Amino acid sequence: MMRKCHLNTCPVGVATQDPKLRAKFTGQPEHVINYFFFVAEELRAIMAEMGFRTIEEMTGRVDRIDMNKAIHHWKAQGIDLSKLLHVVDTKGLPLHHTETQDHGLDKALDQDLIKASAAALESGDAVHIEREVKSLNRTVGAMLSGEVAKKYGHKGLPENTIQIAFTGVAGQSFGAFLAHGVTLELTGDANDYVGKGLSGGRVIVKQPAHVKREPTENIIVGNTVLYGAIAGEAYFSGVAGERFAVRNSGALAVVEGTGDHGCEYMTGGVVAVLGRTGRNFAAGMSGGVAYVYDEDGLFRERCNLAMVDVEAITPDGSDAENSTGAPTQRASNVHDFGMGDMLYHSADRLRILLERHVLYTGSKRARAILDDWANALGKFVKVMPKDYKRALKQLEGERLAAANVAAE
Amino acid sequence: MGKATGFLELDRQDRTYSDAKERLTHYKEFVVPLPEDRLKGQASRCMNCGIPYCHNGCPVNNIIPDWNHLVYEGDWRNALEVLQSTNNFPEFTGRICPAPCEASCTLNIDDAPVTIKSIECAIVDKGWEEGWITPQIPTRKTGKSVAVVGSGPAGMACAQQLARAGHSVTLFEKNDRMGGLMRYGIPDFKMEKDQISRRLMQMQAEGVVLKTSTEVGVQVSMESLRENFDAVVMSGGAEDPRQLTIPGAEMAGVRLAMEFLTQQNKRNAGDDEVRAAPRGTLTATGKHVIVIGGGDTGSDCVGTSNRQGAASVTQIEIMPKPPIKEDKAMNWPDWPLKLRTSSSHEEGCDRDWAINAKRVVGENGKVTGLECVRLDWSNGRMEEVAGSEFILEADLILLAMGFVGPVKPGMVEQSEVVLDVRGNVAANVSDYKTSQENVFACGDMRRGQSLVVWAIREGRQCARAVDLQLMGSTTLPV
Repeated sequence: MMRKCHLNTCPVGVATQDPKLRAKFTGQPEHVINYFFFVAEELRAIMAEMGFRTIEEMTGRVDRIDMNKAIHHWKAQGIDLSKLLHVVDTKGLPLHHTETQDHGLDKALDQDLIKASAAALESGDAVHIEREVKSLNRTVGAMLSGEVAKKYGHKGLPENTIQIAFTGVAGQSFGAFLAHGVTLELTGDANDYVGKGLSGGRVIVKQPAHVKREPTENIIVGNTVLYGAIAGEAYFSGVAGERFAVRNSGALAVVEGTGDHGCEYMTGGVVAVLGRTGRNFAAGMSGGVAYVYDEDGLFRERCNLAMVDVEAITPDGSDAENSTGAPTQRASNVHDFGMGDMLYHSADRLRILLERHVLYTGSKRARAILDDWANALGKFVKVMPKDYKRALKQLEGERLAAANVAAE
Repeated sequence: MGKATGFLELDRQDRTYSDAKERLTHYKEFVVPLPEDRLKGQASRCMNCGIPYCHNGCPVNNIIPDWNHLVYEGDWRNALEVLQSTNNFPEFTGRICPAPCEASCTLNIDDAPVTIKSIECAIVDKGWEEGWITPQIPTRKTGKSVAVVGSGPAGMACAQQLARAGHSVTLFEKNDRMGGLMRYGIPDFKMEKDQISRRLMQMQAEGVVLKTSTEVGVQVSMESLRENFDAVVMSGGAEDPRQLTIPGAEMAGVRLAMEFLTQQNKRNAGDDEVRAAPRGTLTATGKHVIVIGGGDTGSDCVGTSNRQGAASVTQIEIMPKPPIKEDKAMNWPDWPLKLRTSSSHEEGCDRDWAINAKRVVGENGKVTGLECVRLDWSNGRMEEVAGSEFILEADLILLAMGFVGPVKPGMVEQSEVVLDVRGNVAANVSDYKTSQENVFACGDMRRGQSLVVWAIREGRQCARAVDLQLMGSTTLPV
């Protein structure tokens, strides 16, 4: 009716946070119950009038749609609905849902991975698996992670309990929802949605030894990588496609370049980009931190500055004594990937990320930067969402105030 | 559309009236317009509803949020353009429409609707003032001719639309001036009649031929119209008044509201008593007046009686007193039944409800009072309360009890059109065709007594139906 749910001006107090407007809300749950009864009743009446007993009988019966009223309206002049209302000759087959779709899950690569991981799943023993992968294999690791989560919950298994080394080209959603304790290491490249919904596991995609291509100029993973990731780590020794880490809320990632709209709507986690980004970086980014190696000094032009500040990485000041902790070389559990207090330690955090990247992918770019660290650090910029910083500061203030009260 | 948060920042503020004592001394309009900056603020309260209920609350489907927004932006010229695209006569509705649009406004859920009517009126008044309203003369004539009979709002709207479509239109009126009940029924203090005259001049420039004092069915036969015109539109209103059939009602002091109001309107127009009151002067001066009927016409009788200097004015209504505030959950966005107090009521009168007139009391054929009885409606039926009879003192009793339908003798009988069960001329609202070929009907004559704004809607739609019939296609709006 109003369609003002996005403006905080809902005049009847339904879709608003404004206390003045919320006071106008007079609805009760019974009204909704009543409403649905009326809907059902009216539907029944219409169905009875038309001679239908069930919804299924009605499905697809475009021949019973009366469209005269609609097409006689002047606004409908020039609209041809005949294709939409075409009566399909089904040759006796039903027009409504009668059988379930076969997703071919019994043939999924994960069935094999689950079997091979039996020791890890049953008794937590470390397993090491090697497999080939091709683009037909989708959501590799997701069903396996489901098994881990069923038994161990979000906490998962200890780091690297299940280690799988792949070679080849992975299909869509490689490492989706990967659980803590599972590491997928792919030598080759991967399609879109790598690490979608990443939930604590580690995804590595690295260059094959024999290829001559330059990692910072070639795509290694597709679009919307790490979409909606909540925890875990991802290392890509190559360039990612568009919308890298969109809606990431907690995962860490190192990548050597991105397409357009990197870190879009990101709310948490850490992203380090060791090469050129596309345009509109950080659009709608409200949390987390990104570090970008700004070699040509033009990153600010490619960044969407509506919600973020682009800062130089400077040594921490004296207020760093308020830090809740420095970054650590290794992640400790699914809730702490060793990134320390996000208000401080940028240089340390970035160096640790680069070191991990070298460790997992053998990245030449990361190696070169570390070798020239004193110089290279100056070329990095930090993308800090304004509200995120304000919120972190506020939390720190509250913590310090509470500590002062406790001390007195 | 206005401003997203306008309704949170500004309260509803409507036009005010000049002081009652002052306005009772004349018959001029007394509404005080809002200054332009205030109107902009009021327009900013419009919320650009996803589904604007005002679109359908308004019988002519005025595109209200759009012109509210244009007023808020200060673009009055385009606001006028949008307003006139759906309404031929916003200066009428901006004055005398009860504004069902405001009842259906989302902000009326909290009793603070956008002041739509005032904004509408301001747009069109400014349009006239600035000279933006000019004749829309058709570039091409169709060679077809149409007779429109009855020059109330339905006939006027129909004639104007048909003329703009290129037809040769003749508008017939039985009275000596055009406008129907708007001209002679509605008092000047609600709408001054130069508003109508100005529109008629525009219509004449657009090619409409105006024939006053020409009663179809009397001076001109329906047959001759059907012979001489390609189509005939019957828009003669529903002027057959509901009569009082109680003992004593035949006395000279019992008069129809329309006779009373017409006389004063003619006097205001400058007519002498011979022309204004051919059957003898009828005024409320110095009299105790009882108005039977609690509607708008009754209210107009109250205002006119007070201006004429009545000794007292009492208005009685047969139905029970409606609630002061309606149940929003049940009513909105429909027009609610609730107690309405008009400017005429504010000027002074007694009102009473659930009363039935039983007998007119008189001496030597002269009215001295009205015997009434109280009614009990609690069982959903009208039941007289035993022993509740009382007599109201009266010199003049004005009957404003509504209209039962079109007057049958004359045009209606002569045309031999089929009537519906209520006695109105039968025609539907898609083709407006009567049972007679090339004869159409619209307005009160088709739907029974109603609002000016409904008449404008029907006139416009009927014009479209006529154009479609004559030309095989039409570009006039629905």
